[in-house]
Amino acid sequence: MNEKELLKGNIAIAKAALNCGCKCYFGYPITPQTEIGEFLSGEMQKRKLAYVCAESEIAAINMALGAASTGAKVMTSSSSCAVSLMQEAISYASSDELPIVIVNVMRAGPGQGYIFPSQGDYNQATIGGGNGDYKTIVLSPSSVQECVDLTYKAFYLAQKYRTPVILLADGMLGQMAEPASITENPYPEIDNSSWILDGAKSRPAREIHSLEPSQNKLNRHIIELYKKYTTIEQNECDWEEYNCDDIEVLITAFGTMARHAKALCNHYRKKGIKMGLFRPKTLYPFPYKRLNELSQKVNVVIDIEMNMGQMLKDVRLAVLSNAKVSFIGKPTGDMLREEEMVDASKNVLKEYYANI
Amino acid sequence: MQIFKVPKSIKKNSNFTFCSGCDHGVAIKLVAQIIDELNIQEDTIAIASSGCSVLLYDFLDVDCLEAPHGRACAVATGVKRAHKAMGNNKFVFTYQGDGDFASIGLAESMHSALRGENITAICINNTNYGMTGGQLGPTTALGQITTTSPNGRNIEYHGYPIKTAEQIALCEGVSYSARVALYDIKNIMNAKKVIKKAFEYQKKGLGFSFVEILSNCPTNWKLSPKDSHEKIKNELVKIYPLDVFKDVEND
Repeated sequence: MNEKELLKGNIAIAKAALNCGCKCYFGYPITPQTEIGEFLSGEMQKRKLAYVCAESEIAAINMALGAASTGAKVMTSSSSCAVSLMQEAISYASSDELPIVIVNVMRAGPGQGYIFPSQGDYNQATIGGGNGDYKTIVLSPSSVQECVDLTYKAFYLAQKYRTPVILLADGMLGQMAEPASITENPYPEIDNSSWILDGAKSRPAREIHSLEPSQNKLNRHIIELYKKYTTIEQNECDWEEYNCDDIEVLITAFGTMARHAKALCNHYRKKGIKMGLFRPKTLYPFPYKRLNELSQKVNVVIDIEMNMGQMLKDVRLAVLSNAKVSFIGKPTGDMLREEEMVDASKNVLKEYYANI
Repeated sequence: MQIFKVPKSIKKNSNFTFCSGCDHGVAIKLVAQIIDELNIQEDTIAIASSGCSVLLYDFLDVDCLEAPHGRACAVATGVKRAHKAMGNNKFVFTYQGDGDFASIGLAESMHSALRGENITAICINNTNYGMTGGQLGPTTALGQITTTSPNGRNIEYHGYPIKTAEQIALCEGVSYSARVALYDIKNIMNAKKVIKKAFEYQKKGLGFSFVEILSNCPTNWKLSPKDSHEKIKNELVKIYPLDVFKDVEND
């Protein structure tokens, strides 16, 4: 079970979902995440689990919403322009407090864009593309092994906080293969017997709905949701620090882009510039506090993303006036190469390092 | 002798909040009676929708989940399949309006029917969007005046209406599709028989069962409850005939 195998990110997500007890999958094909549904189709049928080739992403997420109300672990997966179709139901599920794992293997946009990798859905995922006051936990894997680890975590957090969780991967991670192991799910099961809809036997009937015609009750409900989000913000921030013990310059990046950014750190370390990387693994809740602390040690923070600067505003909110914040980005296609990042960062760094 | 009692599956001390004379109350009472008669109150999960039908959970004393507008059949699919995956056989039905089932949700409704999901859908067809004040919907009859067809529905300008029960009957996965009305006692008794049959077909695992209830909307039709029922009896049943369009046990 724990031996490493050569795994694609998409397959790793699918295998981890099965391994931690996912009972239902609903989906519609879209590149670059289709392998998740393809893999699960046969495996779930073999295990007599629920798998529906839905007629649309709208249907898929609403099937997931229904299934989540039964207490079963539920997942759907899609990509960017089709995740847009799911936003209404994500808003409903947030208000209904229903645990759903939504995998977004991002492709380029806006609109149909293309199947190139991108990180263009940071805003949609973290701010929320649906209506009303709600937040969605967003986990960002950076390796195939993290596709496994964070899939487990996504199911756990969804159940623990009764809320939708987005696993935000990108086309590069979904499609690339590297050694990873389907480890044991480290998280405990959550007792959901107090709220699930399984028939009103020996208890009063339960109702789950977002409609609330009483303004007092609706206000109370939203305030309660935000108490939960505050708890999530206090307890669940997660990040990686790479060579951050003695930093002079700090790089911020997430997901696949962070791996490339490590090469940039190594490049400057060889030149004697103490560069470190801060990588949020939870995009919501964003680890503002730790980034603020680290930014106090540096003059400049360089945010690198595979988009036009979406995490940038969270980085600025964390760094405040502690350091200058600059941005290197490219919306899609081939990842920024080490040379490109070196070239782009020289302009920023020459202000502080004469001989760069 | 007790001649009337509130069904066990109607919530205690609940009062219908529908407009005076609206058929929703009758439809929900029939559903509650049938749930009692089939003894499925403890195994039922009802899916409410958007529009006047959303308030189902205020009245029906069973587990209830609200679906986003139009998605009730997809939500019901998820509930039914998830319980099956956990080894449970639950009774799952949707309660929707015609706008919900046949307009915004037609894809989800039709595909659930085509797949033959083992669920039941009840569609209250009052030929307009009731909750928002009576706009033209997919079921608005030709010539019918609504707030968005002030000169009456016109083929060239608005296009044709949908005959939902007939369309659903064409789907291979459907076990039962019928249209009933509630304008007099005879029809109410028949509607109960038909809805009960649709519920029984789900219990037998025969696939998607569907009942369209041709209903009044006195407020938006600007008619008294009595006159609105006369309109159904004299006009609407000619356009939307009351019939069983598919019955796998009798076809």
